[in-house]
Amino acid sequence: MADEPLTFEDAMARLERIVADLESGSFSLEESLKKFEEGIQLGTTCRAFLDRADVRVRAITAAQSADGPGVDADGE
Amino acid sequence: MSCAEERIFSVAEINSIVREMLEGEFPAVAIAGEVSNLRVPASGHVYFKLKDATAQIAAVCFRGDARRLDFDLEDGAQVIARGALTLYDAQGSYQLVARSIEPAGRGDLERALRMLLARLREEGLFDVARKRALPRYPARLAVVTSPTGAAIRDILSTIERRFPCVEVLVYGVQVQGDAAPSQIIAALDAISERGDVDVAILGRGGGSIEDLAAFNDEGVARAIHRCRVPVISAVGHEVDVTIADFVADVRAATPTMAAEIAVPARAEVLARIGTLERAAAARLEGRIETARRRVLALAKSYALGQVRGRLEHAMQRLDHASHRSARAIDGSVRDRRARVESLGGRLAGLNPRDVLRRGYAVCADASNGSTITRASDAVRAGAIHIIFHDGAAGARVEGPIIREPREQEGIQSGR
Repeated sequence: MADEPLTFEDAMARLERIVADLESGSFSLEESLKKFEEGIQLGTTCRAFLDRADVRVRAITAAQSADGPGVDADGE
Repeated sequence: MSCAEERIFSVAEINSIVREMLEGEFPAVAIAGEVSNLRVPASGHVYFKLKDATAQIAAVCFRGDARRLDFDLEDGAQVIARGALTLYDAQGSYQLVARSIEPAGRGDLERALRMLLARLREEGLFDVARKRALPRYPARLAVVTSPTGAAIRDILSTIERRFPCVEVLVYGVQVQGDAAPSQIIAALDAISERGDVDVAILGRGGGSIEDLAAFNDEGVARAIHRCRVPVISAVGHEVDVTIADFVADVRAATPTMAAEIAVPARAEVLARIGTLERAAAARLEGRIETARRRVLALAKSYALGQVRGRLEHAMQRLDHASHRSARAIDGSVRDRRARVESLGGRLAGLNPRDVLRRGYAVCADASNGSTITRASDAVRAGAIHIIFHDGAAGARVEGPIIREPREQEGIQSGR
């Protein structure tokens, strides 16, 4: 299970923020460049995330969910 | 009137008259009774008797209506049958043609449901203000439904098709029967406790009001209400609205639609990323253009010698900028890359040092450092600096104005 610090939702939000920042025109060239590079990197990251091809399905049995949270089995 | 003129009916005539009386008098009746002698011949019509302790009536439910029954009709069932009375001429017996049949007690159930609905609404469980927004791009979904039903199949295949890059936790529960509410409540509470689920779908295929009892359960309604994860309800079909639908943050008409609401379409997300990347590249180009114009303006308004260091630094930054941006842009914005690179080329051509290297020089007024662009200004200044690519030399202007080129400069030099 890949628990990256940045979720896909966060990455998309960050990319949108960067475009809004660049559009505001209120950053220096150097800052704009840094933001642009980060944006391109985020785009690449997001595409890679979307390339994951199959849904990971885990079955949580009633007994396990009744026993308590966090107890779950990897089902096929 | 006496009976002198006795009227003799044929059997068909009297049956026909009685039939018309029956049909005219009882076009719509509701009869409560117990089903017995149930027969379903190959025709698909359903024949049975409705009886109580002391009486019975023949009844038929024709195939088209029988298909719409939402529960299992069987001998011994207490039902309310609605339809018209008529007479079956061939037998001379009268019967109920039932257009609809429902289990007795459903009326009580509906009344109880309406009261619960009113109470929960009063309490604010359905308030629109407390409906939570769904995440746009969920990473982990939980589905509470029967592990073997059509609902889970529909949900998984829809997610597979639209947005396969998620994890789905399937909480298999009974969705009908006595154990259903407590299992659904336990699953919702477990999902809420985990803290790592982005959105939950609670659903099942459609069914009769009895089948949907768990989704009209007060405990289930409260579990949805206290669940910290946004819940999408997906119970059956458009007509089946349950209390769970009212409490849920979003109501989907079917499990398939719930999955479509829960996850975006991958193709649309890819298009969105492309749009954002192109917008970022376009903005950066604009930014480089602005910087280029500033450097140009700088070159015109100050003595080159005095600001050369700054200019060179600016040019370097621009070169660096176009290089970096060109490097950063990947294949998805290749068309942009070409434009940024040509922009970089144009910037390199603007580097004043390169111009000076080719044998040109710039004159500046020695007294204030301003760039001299006219011969008359040079004569007026007298003392000037001549700026070469590697440094400046002091000089005095001695000669008069030899020629003062104007707009025709290009043409003259072409001669």
